[in-house]
Amino acid sequence: MDSRDIVRVKDESLAHLRKVHGDDAETLIANARYGFISGLIQDVLKKPVVEKQTATDVIDRLMLNRWLGIPIFLVVLYGIFQLAFTVSLPLTDGINAGFDWLARQASGISPTWLSSLVADGILGGVGAVLAFIPVIFLLYIALSILEDSGYLARAAFVMDRLMHRIGLHGRSFVTFMLGFGCSVAAIMATRTIENPKDRLVTILVTPLMSCGARLPIYALFAAAFFTANQGLVVFSMYAIGVIMAILLAWLFRKKLVSGESGHFVMELPPYRLPTVTGVLAHTWERGWAFLSRAGTIIFVVVVFIWFLDYFGTLEYIGRALAPVFSPAGFGQWQAAVALIFGVLAKETVVGTFGTLFAGAEGAGGLGQVIGMELGWTPLIAFAFMVMVLLYIPCVATLGIVRRETNSWKWTCFTIIYTLVLGWTAATLIYQVGSLFI
Amino acid sequence: MKKQITIALAGNPNSGKSTVFNNLTGARQHVGNWPGVTVEKKEGSCKYKGYSIKVVDLPGVYSLTAYSMDEVIARDFVIDGKPDVVVDVVDASNLERNLYLAVQLLEMKANLVVALNMMDVAESREYGINVNELSRLLGAPVVPMVAARDQGTQELLDTIVDLVEGCREVSGIRMQYGHDVEAEISKLERLLADNSLAGDYSPRWLAIKLLEEDRQIIDKIGKQ
Repeated sequence: MDSRDIVRVKDESLAHLRKVHGDDAETLIANARYGFISGLIQDVLKKPVVEKQTATDVIDRLMLNRWLGIPIFLVVLYGIFQLAFTVSLPLTDGINAGFDWLARQASGISPTWLSSLVADGILGGVGAVLAFIPVIFLLYIALSILEDSGYLARAAFVMDRLMHRIGLHGRSFVTFMLGFGCSVAAIMATRTIENPKDRLVTILVTPLMSCGARLPIYALFAAAFFTANQGLVVFSMYAIGVIMAILLAWLFRKKLVSGESGHFVMELPPYRLPTVTGVLAHTWERGWAFLSRAGTIIFVVVVFIWFLDYFGTLEYIGRALAPVFSPAGFGQWQAAVALIFGVLAKETVVGTFGTLFAGAEGAGGLGQVIGMELGWTPLIAFAFMVMVLLYIPCVATLGIVRRETNSWKWTCFTIIYTLVLGWTAATLIYQVGSLFI
Repeated sequence: MKKQITIALAGNPNSGKSTVFNNLTGARQHVGNWPGVTVEKKEGSCKYKGYSIKVVDLPGVYSLTAYSMDEVIARDFVIDGKPDVVVDVVDASNLERNLYLAVQLLEMKANLVVALNMMDVAESREYGINVNELSRLLGAPVVPMVAARDQGTQELLDTIVDLVEGCREVSGIRMQYGHDVEAEISKLERLLADNSLAGDYSPRWLAIKLLEEDRQIIDKIGKQ
């Protein structure tokens, strides 16, 4: 039997069934399955006459409230950041002190270039990144608890109406939230979005979410420049990321990939008390990626940066590009270099500064050294943080964008739009801010 | 002598599938990707009654259509991966919705065990589930479990071994889709009987998929 004949017979069958039943065969078949199941349920399941009001129902009446849902969500997020920063502060200081001690030991090594490589390059660079392990792990624990308890699904639900207005679906918002961990994992999770256009737009804007790798940069500058309001400043970075993603998703959906958006029921799994093993496993999955990157790519990059710096090439590269960033306030060659290498992995921004300013660290820590050496004000630091948040995603993210969209066109588009967006936002903040301060 | 068996772990999202997977395999896990795509593939193994059991965790899905990549991966593995046993983790407190996947797996003639998970939640809601009747109507073994407290894992393993050794059999269900649909299914079934795809798939299942206008299956037949 020729395959074309089979397809022809199938089309005849479908037409016939549609005529007889007024429904697609697909619907008829699904109905038959549902019929079978509800018949079976009658026989095997006895439910109490009055359904017991579950704890989930009670909690959801509050969490999913029309007016309170979004404020509650924001308060939860803000609380997490405050908590993560307050609790991690002494731990971060401890790790910093440990690396300083190691660097002092290493400065005794001869020859001098080797001691500089170990103390400034490796310990300064990798140490600057590793100092943020506590805050990152705390944040990942919180994210895992939100996910495992079922609250993340509620957050997506309360955002669903807003998301529909911009032409997307609440599921895209789950992706955004997962992007707080890592863009790569979040973009992989877009596979649950069935509508290809919704999925494409979600992939394009997910890199704007503040991933764990950006956190060291915020933490570094927030501690040095915004001592009193650290939690608030870092929270604002996450908020700017989400707002930008929503705005751009709306724009892309309207101008680039218009068309009907998918409609799905948002699943609301019952609340579960997260198990300790589950939360630890999820935290470890996310945290391990960070740790292994510190040992591999970050290590290689900071050593490379140290070499370029040692031979003076680094400053040359930095000076060539620095003028581009002058309108945004951070036109110093060190900042330019940090941003270039940050594309390899965002933590490298901190690693680069760590290597460049190793040894110069006084009592104030790396952030304040940067402030003094580069003459940065809090405004410049804020503009720089926004730049780091929005500009070109790391290569791993670009790789996954390429794989999931299966298109170099959309990958290049991502590089270009994020760069333009980051530069414009940072410049606007610096220029407008300078008028007032 | 160790005998190697492969089981596929299917189930809806939030059915506790990962917990069952962890209970079965402990620390012997391996994370990779499904071939050609970036969906995560988790595999693990355990030893039980002289068997070396490989456990493949399928993506959490509600259905087995060709609409999403996860669903295609799950059903491809059930067919092409030729698992000895398919375990469907079912949330006992959401029986009706969860059984949709079980029914579809049975339509594929999977050697199915239903892991009836979260029995504690069902009980706290005062649901009475007649497990024996459920098993009889589905024509497949049903194992009540509370995976979060690691209850029922051994019973599940026993049932898997029983199926492999032939002590128990999955008789399955014979779904009836109504007179008119059945007539069209038989028509297509006859045409498909000598199609080369019929080696891997049952002609009846192929016919149903064609009527559901399943993209993947239509493409496969088009390529013949």
